[in-house]
Amino acid sequence: MFNKMVSYKYPRNLLMLFELLALFLLFIYSKDNLNKFTFIYGIGLILIVYVSNFLLLRISTGDTYIFLIVTMLISIGLIMIYRIDPLLGIKQILWIGMGIFIFFLTYLVFKNIKGWEEWTYFYGIGSIILFIITLLFGSRIRGAINWISIGGLSIQPSEIIKLLTIFLIASYYTRYEHFKKQKYGSYYLIATTYLFILFLFLQRDLGTVLILYTLFIALQFIYEENRRLILYNLLFSIVSGFLGYLLFPHVRIRFETWLNPWKYIDNKGYQITQSLFAIAEGGFFGTGLGLGHPDFIPEVHTDFIFSAICEEMGIFTGMGIIMLFLILVYRGFKIGINQKIKFYRIVAIGISILFGIQSFIIFGGVLKMIPLTGITIPFVSYGGSSMLSSFIALGILQVASEELDFEEAKDG
Amino acid sequence: MFNIVSLIFKYIFIIIIYLFILSIIRLIYLDIKGIDTKALNNASYLKLVNRKDTLPFKVKEYYPLDKEVYLGRGKDNQIVIRDPYISKRHLKIVEDEGNYYLEDLGSANGTYINEERILDVVKLKNGDRIRVGQIEFLYVGRE
Repeated sequence: MFNKMVSYKYPRNLLMLFELLALFLLFIYSKDNLNKFTFIYGIGLILIVYVSNFLLLRISTGDTYIFLIVTMLISIGLIMIYRIDPLLGIKQILWIGMGIFIFFLTYLVFKNIKGWEEWTYFYGIGSIILFIITLLFGSRIRGAINWISIGGLSIQPSEIIKLLTIFLIASYYTRYEHFKKQKYGSYYLIATTYLFILFLFLQRDLGTVLILYTLFIALQFIYEENRRLILYNLLFSIVSGFLGYLLFPHVRIRFETWLNPWKYIDNKGYQITQSLFAIAEGGFFGTGLGLGHPDFIPEVHTDFIFSAICEEMGIFTGMGIIMLFLILVYRGFKIGINQKIKFYRIVAIGISILFGIQSFIIFGGVLKMIPLTGITIPFVSYGGSSMLSSFIALGILQVASEELDFEEAKDG
Repeated sequence: MFNIVSLIFKYIFIIIIYLFILSIIRLIYLDIKGIDTKALNNASYLKLVNRKDTLPFKVKEYYPLDKEVYLGRGKDNQIVIRDPYISKRHLKIVEDEGNYYLEDLGSANGTYINEERILDVVKLKNGDRIRVGQIEFLYVGRE
């Protein structure tokens, strides 16, 4: 009987119930400046999420869980962002709407165009062009140049570069035999990756360096035939870690505040100590939405949203978010294992590693387990670039979850 | 007023989030149980095209094919599916020199391959869609 009760409808309806309750609660919370449009946006988003989950079951023959999990993460994040700042919340709703649209667009484009593995050079050159554009036109925000603004819209090219790097590594290892025949062929990928890392050092965007390094070493560990290269890479990553520590003062500050933030509580360590206070204040069940003080933490809507969620919705919700990420990454790996085409398999594994490492770095940083690096939690934090690029990644993962080799065989 | 509602809602939110996670884990678990990967290594197999939860009877996601496989409602078949639109002994699939041949055993509602009702023995090609009763299978051949 229980088997019948748990069908695909059950989590979908739970999600809808969750969103409706949250909307209701947020309405009572901001009843002084009620706005008709906010209500329309809220209801609109709930409908879009429900219909997309429904549609995806019909359109796609692949995985049906990743999109559900992601919509749950989005809902939790959005509730918190709206509670912190209603204006940002409305912006975030628009980003999410666009993100879901882009998800379906990516799904269709990526599914219907074949031959993605052929464009190795395009991925490499495209990333380098993006790097140069960022260096030339970028503006420095909090120590790192990673934003460029075009006509009032700020975008973060490094979000797209992460995806391009996954594609580059995947197409390289798919055409490994082809590259191995050339002179120094097996060093091409390493040379390009280090070029990327050099660019990122110039921008001082060390969070992205960490992500790219992990992606690269993990995929190399799986596919590289020359095992010695992996060892060199590991050694080199340790060396560049030291270099970063010696060269950049803001890395040293991060390190010191990680070791003992209480000494610098009035300046450098203010953010991390406030985050720890917030999490401790919340306890297991939280203070209740709107009853805590997440606004004491600087940058609470992007990097520190996890602390805000822990404060107002409780450690249990925080653990729930971590569990949702665990299932998401697990599904990603499973998609990779089941996929028969090598290129799609590497891309699926790369994207899962990307989601996993990004959330690990920021959860660890906020909880003071590892030195803090300012990056966003995919799907939860506020941010347009991060939201859109995460949805593109999800769309690609959705395509990779289908049995693709079969459709090719039918065509030919 | 708001404080009380918020205090109640925080427990409800946590309960909903955990129910959501549990139901997804349970669905994934049911998926995993349905796949018997060991038998599928090199053999040809039938893959279910329908979604499992839309069917009111038990059916597996994959059926590996053997030398001779019978499909039907009766218990003595290798592939047993309790669909009322399937005959007791509905069809058989036999292997001969690496190829698989499908034969309808005089069933009441017939067998369709790629939406065409078959009359005599048909050689299966990779990618054929086999429809019996309410369910549809995909034939995946391996040489």
